[in-house]
Amino acid sequence: MDPVVAEAAQTTLLVPVYIAYAVITLTLTIWLARTLFKNGAVFLEDVFKDTPKMAEAVNRLLVVGFYLMNLGYAALLMKASGATTAVQAAEVLAWKLGGLLISLGVMHFTNMYLFYRIRRRARAAVLPPPVMPQMRLPNGAPYGAQQYYAQPAYEAPAPQGA
Amino acid sequence: MTALTVLYDGSCALCLRCRDFLAEHAAYVPIELLSCQSADARARFGAVPWLGEELIVVSNDGDVWVGSAAFIMCLWALVDYRDWSYRLSGPELAPLAQRFFNALSSRRKSVARFFGPLRCEEGMFCTVSPLARDHGNQHRPQRTYR
Repeated sequence: MDPVVAEAAQTTLLVPVYIAYAVITLTLTIWLARTLFKNGAVFLEDVFKDTPKMAEAVNRLLVVGFYLMNLGYAALLMKASGATTAVQAAEVLAWKLGGLLISLGVMHFTNMYLFYRIRRRARAAVLPPPVMPQMRLPNGAPYGAQQYYAQPAYEAPAPQGA
Repeated sequence: MTALTVLYDGSCALCLRCRDFLAEHAAYVPIELLSCQSADARARFGAVPWLGEELIVVSNDGDVWVGSAAFIMCLWALVDYRDWSYRLSGPELAPLAQRFFNALSSRRKSVARFFGPLRCEEGMFCTVSPLARDHGNQHRPQRTYR
């Protein structure tokens, strides 16, 4: 067969594959980014209680990063070597979408981990001491309740003078 | 509680290293680092029977933590190590951590030898390391070194 004709036969089916890939990728990325934006806002509002503008900014920046990473990776992944039959075309499309979905999943869990880390940091700042004190100096103001401490006291060693 | 005072052994090189570690890391509460040999420590915390023997942490409310609990409180005060203070005081790790801190405290002079010499006179209260002065945490202005 003439090489030009052979190449044409290989690539004609790629056009619908590319179109389908682009449409599915764009739809998925936009849907995922919107989900992330909507639900991430809840986390971030909790973290930046006194600065809601900050929460929105962080959320928006995270989503921008998410878009850039995903669309960039999807674009790199698009090129296919060839498909002569409809079955091959379907396989190529499935292979590419599978790779893309897995990478989107990794990105999504990374984002969730980031939210978790940000939130944990903010919560740690207000945690009470984990151990109870061994004694209290009389001039110190007392705490409200002993339940203030999450864990029972560590044992204090006996002072040598006693 | 809004501030902590850490009373360390100023004659032990390991303790001075730990003090510098405390000074160099970001903390949630202001930390005052006080050598237990200083006159100030004796005047203010003479009522604590462990003064000079064990690591002591005193809050501004008058709560006193001694020995392993004081180690935990030092970790608790630091931004990067607060989760470790909870981990080490949880039911699984508390007995192990307590033994470790007690052993470290009682062997502090011999352990210090593994770390090489500090750049200061023996038996002196070293000045705080240059690192602590330059990259101190957000509460640095309230800290005092004696």
